[in-house]
Amino acid sequence: MRRYNLLIVGLLMVAPGAYLIFTHPQNLPLWFIWLAGPFLWYVGIAVAIGSIAGILLLPRTTVTPTCASSSDNVATLPAVPSRQVPIEVLLLQIENHVRLEQAAAESFVTFPTNAQLHSKTTSPLVN
Amino acid sequence: MMHELLNGVSSSEAEEFLELGTRMIVPRGTSLFQLGDPADRLFLIEDGRIRLTLPMQVRGREEEVLVEERTPGQAVGWSALIPPYGFTLTATAAPQDAQVIALPREALLKYFATNPATGYKIALNLAVVIGHRLQLFQTMWLREMERTVEVRSA
Repeated sequence: MRRYNLLIVGLLMVAPGAYLIFTHPQNLPLWFIWLAGPFLWYVGIAVAIGSIAGILLLPRTTVTPTCASSSDNVATLPAVPSRQVPIEVLLLQIENHVRLEQAAAESFVTFPTNAQLHSKTTSPLVN
Repeated sequence: MMHELLNGVSSSEAEEFLELGTRMIVPRGTSLFQLGDPADRLFLIEDGRIRLTLPMQVRGREEEVLVEERTPGQAVGWSALIPPYGFTLTATAAPQDAQVIALPREALLKYFATNPATGYKIALNLAVVIGHRLQLFQTMWLREMERTVEVRSA
């Protein structure tokens, strides 16, 4: 959703800009219409085009938060962007993730419910 | 020590069964068996922990990644009883030394043939162990699959 915020802002600028330019409201001074109208119109279009380019060209960086549960015997590790993580830390995160997932699976197998199956995880590997 | 494979087995039968095996110490960090090794022994854990791992490609490197950790009372290496008798995981003692009872397949099969009632109980217990692992892994697989789909369709 955040990816579309800039586009919405751009369109929200274009709309009043178009209103000022094309309807010439009589209750507003002419200098204001000629100043604000084109400003909102052109800047709004520029922002909208820029945001569309961003949506189409930039890679997605958001990872949907997901599953799981809690477990004993699990170290809490900081969630760090994967490129900065040394391989040793990454391996610990994988192990931590496996333990959490196993605990979640154990809970489901013990009490098989839909909620247990789809419980959220705190694993930094997927959050 | 109550072993999961000996649930419902009388103490005399359990004692007789355990005498088929050899107690051994697995020093910390040492492999009990490796992926691809011929599986000719079943192991019952007496003390310590056994890490079951699989090799995983992580940033172009092959790393042993934890799949399961087995604790005293649990069994590892049941591939020894299931064709094609090859280990599908690597088992390592960690973080401390482990003590296991190693039961050779030949001795087990001979025992089951001469003691079918006990063999039946042990086979049922083994089915429980395998079934539990299957349920765990199918749950884990589904959760991972959901995440993959969620991320790809986001």
